[in-house]
Amino acid sequence: MSVSKIIEVPLALELPVGPQHPALHEPVLLKAYADGEEIVKVEINTGYNHRGIEKLCEKNSFYRDIFIVARVCGICNLVHADCYVRAVEQILGMEISNRAKYLRVLAMELERLHSHMLINAVMAENIGFENLFMNIMLDREKIMKAKEILTGNRVLSDYVMVGGVRRDIDDVKKEKIRDILLKTEERIKYYKKVFEEDPTILKRLVDVGKVSTRDAVIHSLVGPVARASGVKIDSRASDKYDAYSEIPFNVITRTEGDSWARMMVRWDEALESVKIALHVLDHLPSDANPVPDEKKLPRKIPAGEAYTRVEAQRGELTYYVMSDGKSPNPYRVKIRTPSFNNIISTGFMYVGYTIADLPVILTSLDPCISCMERVTVVDVIKNVSYKLPFKELGKGV
Amino acid sequence: MSSRLDFLSPFTLETQVVKPGRKVYVVKPEDLRNVFSKMIEVLGDSSFYVSTIIGTDLKDEGRIRLDYYVVVLPEEETVVFRTFIPRDNPTVDSLIDLIPGVLPGECETHDLLGVVFKGNPFLKRGFFVPSDVVEQGKYPLRKDSGV
Repeated sequence: MSVSKIIEVPLALELPVGPQHPALHEPVLLKAYADGEEIVKVEINTGYNHRGIEKLCEKNSFYRDIFIVARVCGICNLVHADCYVRAVEQILGMEISNRAKYLRVLAMELERLHSHMLINAVMAENIGFENLFMNIMLDREKIMKAKEILTGNRVLSDYVMVGGVRRDIDDVKKEKIRDILLKTEERIKYYKKVFEEDPTILKRLVDVGKVSTRDAVIHSLVGPVARASGVKIDSRASDKYDAYSEIPFNVITRTEGDSWARMMVRWDEALESVKIALHVLDHLPSDANPVPDEKKLPRKIPAGEAYTRVEAQRGELTYYVMSDGKSPNPYRVKIRTPSFNNIISTGFMYVGYTIADLPVILTSLDPCISCMERVTVVDVIKNVSYKLPFKELGKGV
Repeated sequence: MSSRLDFLSPFTLETQVVKPGRKVYVVKPEDLRNVFSKMIEVLGDSSFYVSTIIGTDLKDEGRIRLDYYVVVLPEEETVVFRTFIPRDNPTVDSLIDLIPGVLPGECETHDLLGVVFKGNPFLKRGFFVPSDVVEQGKYPLRKDSGV
């Protein structure tokens, strides 16, 4: 029987991951190339959802921008607002009350708590533990409630204002938040134990997506990703902004550098966040009203520039704000989010691991996956070639 | 801590401060690579990281200002290397072969502001900017882009 068709299976299969997969948190496309099961290269494509926030900030006033920057991200809206507002306060030379500083810290730690719980839940879901996912999300919901009690909103809180915060807290609310924190702390300890001991979780996460300390530094990785590789960086500890200079806490680091270490860093940090939040509730100063009279805030912002950092849930978040002193709008606002470095610079992390490891590595940084394989069919009789998904090939060509 | 960076004084035209207390070293654009090479030589390549690159269009001065925000470890002190390039020919040497972590910053600054980082093979339009703006040849963060 003569040969009528040759099937060329390309050495490197192209696997598009994203950008619109429902479980993917960041609208990016990871174009992975695999040789058999092994990933040989990953290209990262961005720009699907660029909203021009920096340009928008240049076209709006300093005060309106507080509400614009808070919408950069739903999960970490408070840290964005805090970082921007502190930059404006630096330009104004404004000092705020201790009570406002403590309340900002409390709000930001609640945000870190629910964010870390969310990504660890997503990791559980992506490796097949849907029940664990739902349980973690159920407990995360309590933290969202605590955030609502403090700020008035579950998600977009718009809590931080130049000169302080927009709502004070009373003893009843303090007790409610304390109660939620203590209950959640026990649950976090339990989930941490599950991640430490469950054999399936360990098999999927340990030694997957390893990053050395040097690689983490030279690729400018930040946050839990860097700390899980032994890089001891934390803007809260180094910049001591807001009330962090007065609150004791540990910077969590691990040395393994793999996907498991990144998730464990998040569990340990969640426990630290509970401690910080409880410390704030116990030591909340009463030096002044933390809520500024917004009508009395300065209308004119003097010329100047400030660069502030905040330790967002995903790592160092920075804001540069420049005022020319003439316009009511900033001359330049530059935002560098932690995902910007942690997603775009991490193509090297996937190389050498298998296709099944890709979603694990991606989730350990934050996102998810869809994939598609193809082969080329060369019809030597008709002298044509065409591409065909494996699914079609399985039906017989 | 900044005394650790005294070895950079031959390259420094002047020093400034960005609030709150971030020391700025103004350098010539042609010295930028030498500055980072010296940093790697003296401090080691894993003792600092480039946190962000900020390009600002100073239209009235006919210049574009590039700020490299560098976090020096282990103290995590942020220092700034500032340089100015002409607006009509915004070209500067890329650092990507020295420091892979500048990839997002250089690609973004190219796409939004039109700065060409010589030697960076990954530069492309549409890295962030939507295709309709790219087709018009506009750089959105330029003050006269009309975006």
